[in-house]
Amino acid sequence: MALSTLQRSIELAGTLPALLVAADRVAATVIQGVHGRRRVGQGDAFWQFRPYRSGDSLGRVDWRRSARSTRDLFVRETEWEAAASVWLWRDASASMDYASLKGIDTKAERAELLTLALASLLTDAGERVAALGSGARPITGRIAVRRLAEHFADERRVTKTPPSLPPTVPLSTHATVVLVSDWLDPLPGIEAMVRHYVGMGVRGHIVQVLDPAEEDLPFAGHVKFEGLETEGQHTIRRVEAVRGAYGAKLAAQRDGLQRIARPAGWTVHLHRTDKPPQTALLALYLAMADLARVNAA
Amino acid sequence: MLSLGAFAFAAPAMLGLLIALPAIYWLLRLIPPLPRLVRFPAIRLLIGLEPPEQTPMKMPWWLLLLRLLLAAALILAVARPLLNPQADLPGRGPLVLVIDDGWSSAPGWPTRLAHAERLIQRAERAGRPVVLLGTAPVALDAATPRRGALRPDEARTVLRALRPKPWPTDRVQALAELDQLGLDAAAHVVWLSDGLADEGAERFAARLRRFDSLQVVLPDAGQAPLLLLPPLAEGRDLKVKAQRAEASGPRRAAVQAVDDQGRIVARLEIDFAATATEGEGTLVAPAELRNRMSRLDIETQGGAGSAILLDERHRRRPVAVLGERAAAAGQPFLQEVYYLERALDPYVSLTIGDRETVLGRSTAVLLIPDGAAPSPADRNEIAAWIERGGIAVRFAGPRLAAGEDTLVPTRLRLGDRALGGVMSWGQPSVLAEFPANSPFLGIAIPKDVRVLQQVLAEPTPDLADTTWARLADGTPLVTAEKRGQGYLVLIHTTANTNWSNLALSGLFVNMLQRMVALSRGVAGDGVNKALKPWRTLDGFGRLGPPPAGAQALPVDAAETFKPRPATPPGLYGDENAQVAFNVGGRVPTLRPLVLPAGVATDRLSEQGETDLTRWFLLAALLLLLADLLISLWLRGLLWRALRPAGATALVAFAILSLPSGAEAQAPAAPAPQQRPGPPPLTDEEALRGSLDIRLAYIATGDSEVDQLSKAGLEGLSEILRNRTSVEPSEPVALDLERDEPRLYPLIYWPVTSVQPALSPRAAAALDRHLRTGGIVFIDTRDQHFAFDRRPGGNADLKRLLSGIETPPLVQMPSDHVLSKAFYLLSDMPGRWLGGKLWIEAGGGRVNDGVTTLVIGANDFAGAWAVDSRGRGQLPVSPGGETQREMSYRFGVNLVMHALTGNYKDDQVHIQDIMQRLRR
Repeated sequence: MALSTLQRSIELAGTLPALLVAADRVAATVIQGVHGRRRVGQGDAFWQFRPYRSGDSLGRVDWRRSARSTRDLFVRETEWEAAASVWLWRDASASMDYASLKGIDTKAERAELLTLALASLLTDAGERVAALGSGARPITGRIAVRRLAEHFADERRVTKTPPSLPPTVPLSTHATVVLVSDWLDPLPGIEAMVRHYVGMGVRGHIVQVLDPAEEDLPFAGHVKFEGLETEGQHTIRRVEAVRGAYGAKLAAQRDGLQRIARPAGWTVHLHRTDKPPQTALLALYLAMADLARVNAA
Repeated sequence: MLSLGAFAFAAPAMLGLLIALPAIYWLLRLIPPLPRLVRFPAIRLLIGLEPPEQTPMKMPWWLLLLRLLLAAALILAVARPLLNPQADLPGRGPLVLVIDDGWSSAPGWPTRLAHAERLIQRAERAGRPVVLLGTAPVALDAATPRRGALRPDEARTVLRALRPKPWPTDRVQALAELDQLGLDAAAHVVWLSDGLADEGAERFAARLRRFDSLQVVLPDAGQAPLLLLPPLAEGRDLKVKAQRAEASGPRRAAVQAVDDQGRIVARLEIDFAATATEGEGTLVAPAELRNRMSRLDIETQGGAGSAILLDERHRRRPVAVLGERAAAAGQPFLQEVYYLERALDPYVSLTIGDRETVLGRSTAVLLIPDGAAPSPADRNEIAAWIERGGIAVRFAGPRLAAGEDTLVPTRLRLGDRALGGVMSWGQPSVLAEFPANSPFLGIAIPKDVRVLQQVLAEPTPDLADTTWARLADGTPLVTAEKRGQGYLVLIHTTANTNWSNLALSGLFVNMLQRMVALSRGVAGDGVNKALKPWRTLDGFGRLGPPPAGAQALPVDAAETFKPRPATPPGLYGDENAQVAFNVGGRVPTLRPLVLPAGVATDRLSEQGETDLTRWFLLAALLLLLADLLISLWLRGLLWRALRPAGATALVAFAILSLPSGAEAQAPAAPAPQQRPGPPPLTDEEALRGSLDIRLAYIATGDSEVDQLSKAGLEGLSEILRNRTSVEPSEPVALDLERDEPRLYPLIYWPVTSVQPALSPRAAAALDRHLRTGGIVFIDTRDQHFAFDRRPGGNADLKRLLSGIETPPLVQMPSDHVLSKAFYLLSDMPGRWLGGKLWIEAGGGRVNDGVTTLVIGANDFAGAWAVDSRGRGQLPVSPGGETQREMSYRFGVNLVMHALTGNYKDDQVHIQDIMQRLRR
C-alpha cells in the first residue's frame, strides 16, 4: 500500500508540476484583472469600522477604537468571506484526446488546464474545491489544487473508458459545478444531467472546449471519418459540400446547450483550443464572481 | 522484329496488348479513389450528412495518366524494346565464333568480348547454336573449354570465362581443332582476329571460307597490338623498341617504367614513323632509378606483349675502384684506374676513391689495381665483405709480385715472369680458349692480345678448377676462388699496359662486364642451371604465381625460349635471383594478316543494340511506387505508414552519423585549449591537489575573511575525519587568477565586497570546472542583515559571477539530497539561521541531479571555524552550540554530496528500484 502511494507520487511528480505551473501561470494573469470582493461579510479579515447602529450586538463593538472617539461607539466589520464549495469536472473521454494541428493542446489537455487554473484561482480566493464524482470533500488551499491534479492523473491512469458526461451525484444546495467538456453528446443526456443538478439547487457553469477543426471542418474531398470512441465510421464523398450543414448542426448543438442552461441560470462558455486559455478562464471566473455577487445581494 | 528507326521490338506481338489501354482507362475512371481516413471526434454531428449532389468521385487526371503510363510501360517492356537494333545473322546453321586470344588480343579485349556477346545475343534471338573457338593454346591449369555447338547462354558463359593468353595464337592447332568438330558447311563464321599473321593463318582462312558465310573482324588501327622488345643498354641509357604489324601511319606510344612496388619511375615515348613498323625511344634515367625499374609497359595496351620484365641484366651495378682518379694524378695513360674507368664507366655506376670512400659504400664489385694494394687491416675487411657476397677483382703488378699478399685466390710464386723480353726466348703469349667453368665462356678472343708479363700461381691440384682464363702455354691468367657467397678474382697481369695490352682490347671490357655480371648471382653457377618458373605474366600483363604445370626452363633457354602454355613469359629462378623471359623478342616479327580476296571484313566496335526491357520494367516499378505513395497520401495514410519506417530510418541515420559526429568533434577538441585559462598545472601542483582530498576556498583578498575560510574548512575537515570515511588534508586557498580549480571537488567561496570581478581567464576556468562536474559553494554571509532576499539581490555576488554562465537557480526543495546525504537535516544553519539555500534548477535532469552551484547566506565558515583548541572561534546565533553542530552536519552533507553525487537520492528510492529489478 505504501509502495503504491509512493509509486503514485513519483509518477505524479513527473507530470504534475508542469501542469500546475501552467495552471498557476494562467491563473496569475487572470487574477490581475479581478479585484477582490470588497464587501462586508462573514470573515476574519478586518474590513472597516462603522458607527454603532442600534440593533448591533454589543459584542461587535470595538472598544479600543471607540475609546479614542469622544462620542461614538464603533463596530468592527470584517470582510465578507463566502466560502462556497465548487465541484469541478472535466471530460476525460477518448474523444477529448484530439488536436487537429501540431503545436496546440488537445482538448483534454486544455480542459484539464482550465479546470486546474480555475481551481487555483478559486482556492486563492478561499473557495473550497473538489473533483465532481471523486467522493472527496471540498477543501481549500494549495493542497486542494494538488489533490485535484492527482485525482485527474489517477483517473487517466485507472479508468479505461471514462464517461463523456459528468456523473450525477447528490450535492448540497448552493454548491457550484463547473463542467468542462466538448459537449458533443446527444442533448437529451446533457439535459437529464443538468436537470438532476438544478433539481438540487446547484448552480453550474458549462465550458465547451472545441478543436478548431471541429468548428471549421477544414477537410475536402472524399473522406472516411472515424470516431475516437465507438461511434463507428462515416464516409462523405465531398466534405466541402456538407460544411454548411455541419456548421448548422454544431450551432444547433450549442443552441441546445444554451437552452438547457439558461432557464436554470447556468452559463455556457465556448473555448477553442487554438485560443489562449486566459480569455476563457477570465470569462468563467467573472461569471462565477458575478454569481457570488448576486448571491450576496 | 518490328523496327522503328533506332528503336525496335523483339516481341512485337506483345504490342497488341496496347489495345487494352483504353479499357484500362475506362476501368480506372469508373473506380473512384478510396477515401481518406480522418479521425474526428465530432463524428456524431456528421452522421446523417450527405452532400446534395451525387456526382461520382473522379480520379484526378494526373493520377489517371500515371496509371496509364504504368500500364503502357509494362506492355512495352514485355515487347522487348531494343535500341539500335542489329539485323539478324545471315546464313543458317550455327554461329561459329573464332576468337584470336593470344597476347595480341589483350588491348581492346573488352571491346572484343562485347562484340562477341552481341553476336551471341543475335544468335540467341534467331535461336541458332553457337560454336566458340579460341585460336591460342589453352592454359595448362584452365579447364578445357566446351567445344561444339552450344546454346547461346552456355556460349555466353564460356565466352565470359575466356581470357587473353600470354602467348601467341597457334592457328595450325586451331585448324586441327576446327576439323575435329566436324561442322557442317551451313554455318555463319565470324572471326574476331587480332590482325596478325602466323604460319597457319593462310590455311586457316581458307578453311573458314568453306563455310557458308565468313566475316573477319579486325581491330581498329588504334587498337592494333604493339609488341615491346627487350631494351638494350646503350651506355647510360636504355634503348626501348616496339614493333607493330602494319605501317599504318604515324603512331605514338608511351612506355612507362615501373618499380616493384608499382610506382612509375620513368616514362618515355616511342614514335612510329608513318611507314615504319618499328619505333624506338630512349630512356634516360639515373642509375639509381634504373636499378629500381622492374618492368616496362606500353600504356593503355595492358597485355603480355606490351610488357617487358627487367632483371639484373638491365641494371647498372655499383662498382668501386680502389685508387685515385686518373685525372687527379696526372699522366693518365700510366694509371691503372684510367683503364678501368674507361672500360666500365658506361655500364656501371662507378665509384673511385681511397679505402674510406670505397669500403664504406655498398658495392657489388670492388676492383683493386696493383697500385692500391690494401693494408693487412683492409685485407681482413675486404675478405669479410667477400664472404657476404662481394666480388673483389685484383690486378697483379710489381707490388703483388714482390710482396707477401694473402688476399689472393691461389698461392703465388714470388716474383713475376716476363715473356718476350730481351733476356727471354719466349714470345709474348696469347690467350687460350676459356675453360668450360669460366664465366668468360663465349667471349670472342681477339687475336692481337698479348701478355708480356704475369705473376705465376703455385701449381696445386685444384688450380685448374680455379682458373677462369689461361694463356696459350697453360699458365693461368685469371684465377678465382669462391669465398662464402662472393668471389675473389685475380687477374695475373696489370690493369694498365705495362705487362700486357689486354687493357686496350675489347676483351678487357667484356671480361670486366662478365665479372660485374657475376655479382647478380644468377650468372656464374646459375646460368647453366634449369630455371624454375617463379612469377609469370597472364594475358593482361599481370605478374602472378606460375600456373600449375608450368615447366622449368632448360639450360639453353636463353636461346630457345618460346612463350607457350608450358613456359609462359615471366620471371624464372627463385626469390633471390630471377631471369626475365618476355614475349617481346621471342615471337616472330609481326606481319599483318593477309586475307583471301572477297572476305567480308568489319571492325571491332563497342556500340551495339541495347535491350531496353529492364529500363522499362524499372520505369514501371518506379511508377508503381509513386502510385502507392500517392494513394496513401490521398487516403491520409501516408504519414501513418511512414512513421514507423521513418523512425527506423532516423535511428539508422543517427547510428550512421555517430562516427562522423565523433570525427567532427575530434578536431574541435583542441579549441577549448585556445580559450583563455590558467597555465597548465605543474606536476607538483597536480600531485598536491590530487593525492589527497582537500577542501578548497577561494582567496578573496580580504585577509580576515580568508583566515576565517581557512579556519572554517579546517574545522569541517576535522569533523569529517572524526565522523566519516572522508579524510581531507589541509584546506587549500585558491587564487582563481592563478590556480586551477578542477582538482578540488568542493570549493567554498565567501562573497566579499573587496574581491574584484574575475578576469575572463579565471572565469573561463571556473566555468569549465562547473560544466565538468565541480561544485562551488558560495556564501554571501549576509543573512544577518539581508533576510532571505534572492541571491540575485547581492551586488557583490552579481559582480563576482558576471563572467560565469550561471545556471537558473531555485530554492533548495526540502527533499533535496543535500538534506539527506549523510545526516537528515531540516534546515541548514551557519553562523546565522534561516537563510535559504539556492541550488541549480533542473530537477535532476542536469548533471545527474548534482547541483553545481550552492548559494547560501548563513556565513558557514564562521560557524565551522575553530581555534587551535578546537573551540568555535565565533559565536553562533541564535541557536548556540546546537546550531553550530547542525552547521557542521550541513557541511558534512555538502561534502558528501560533492563526493557521492545523488547516491543518497538513489538510496531513498531503493524500494522502487528493487521492485523494478524483481519485475
